[in-house]
Amino acid sequence: MARTFRRRRGGRVAVRLSPEEVELLRMIARDVVTIICAPPEGEVGERLYPRAYLDPTEEQAEQDFRGLVHDDLVEQRRSALATVLDKLPPTDPTVEVGAGERADFDLDADEALQWLTALNDARLVIGTALGVTEDDNGEFPPDDPRFDLGTCYQWLSYLQFELVELLLDDLGEDGVDAT
Amino acid sequence: MSGAGTETEEIVVPDTVEELLGADDVRPDVPWIIIVWNDPVNTFEYVTFVFQKVFGYSRAKARRLMLEVHHEGKSVVSSGTREKCEADVARLHAYGLWATLQKDD
Repeated sequence: MARTFRRRRGGRVAVRLSPEEVELLRMIARDVVTIICAPPEGEVGERLYPRAYLDPTEEQAEQDFRGLVHDDLVEQRRSALATVLDKLPPTDPTVEVGAGERADFDLDADEALQWLTALNDARLVIGTALGVTEDDNGEFPPDDPRFDLGTCYQWLSYLQFELVELLLDDLGEDGVDAT
Repeated sequence: MSGAGTETEEIVVPDTVEELLGADDVRPDVPWIIIVWNDPVNTFEYVTFVFQKVFGYSRAKARRLMLEVHHEGKSVVSSGTREKCEADVARLHAYGLWATLQKDD
């Protein structure tokens, strides 16, 4: 498979997506925005917005924490997915899906970080809904009803792996903390 | 919770604001810790990246903590005041990591 993300001179990240990939990513990002903003009750919502305190006697602190950060967290996630959607070339209704132009564009450092977290949020949503494990990593047999979405999940994992490798290079080996 | 039966206790005059408030978890000398829990979605590389990004750790330290999360199921990744830990847990949640904070017992 061809690389999707490459480092450009000067620190920007070049992105190249096939027409099929553009449409798939758009579809995923739109669906995930909906779920991020109004998560269903249950595992997906709990995984996206986990408790900060496990101790039940800290319920007040938990509520205070949630009151303080929850709306910002939703907005941060929505905004990162919007950055992904904004970068994708618009759909041309006169062109058959997958027959459009491939996409070539750059991300600056901030946009690259937004793409990284947006890809991860999509993986969290899909991976949790599918119940992926460290053993299957979203790879299911063809007769499994989760096969198609599992393939999407694996593709997102692949994209995210490429991008995080580039961003890890930016951070380097050395820390900036005193410990 | 305590509170009942205080009539048998001596009245102690608190000598600090924190004691007066009676909430020992706001005392700056009580350390809080952040625990990151293992999950099947976040990858090795991504978790390493997040630990470097959020805490400024070296690659080596970030990888060591990431592997501890993976092998032990959890790792204490940072400590500090409750306020600092809450802020860092919020950042870890924004990156999609499963993080909690608690008093260091």
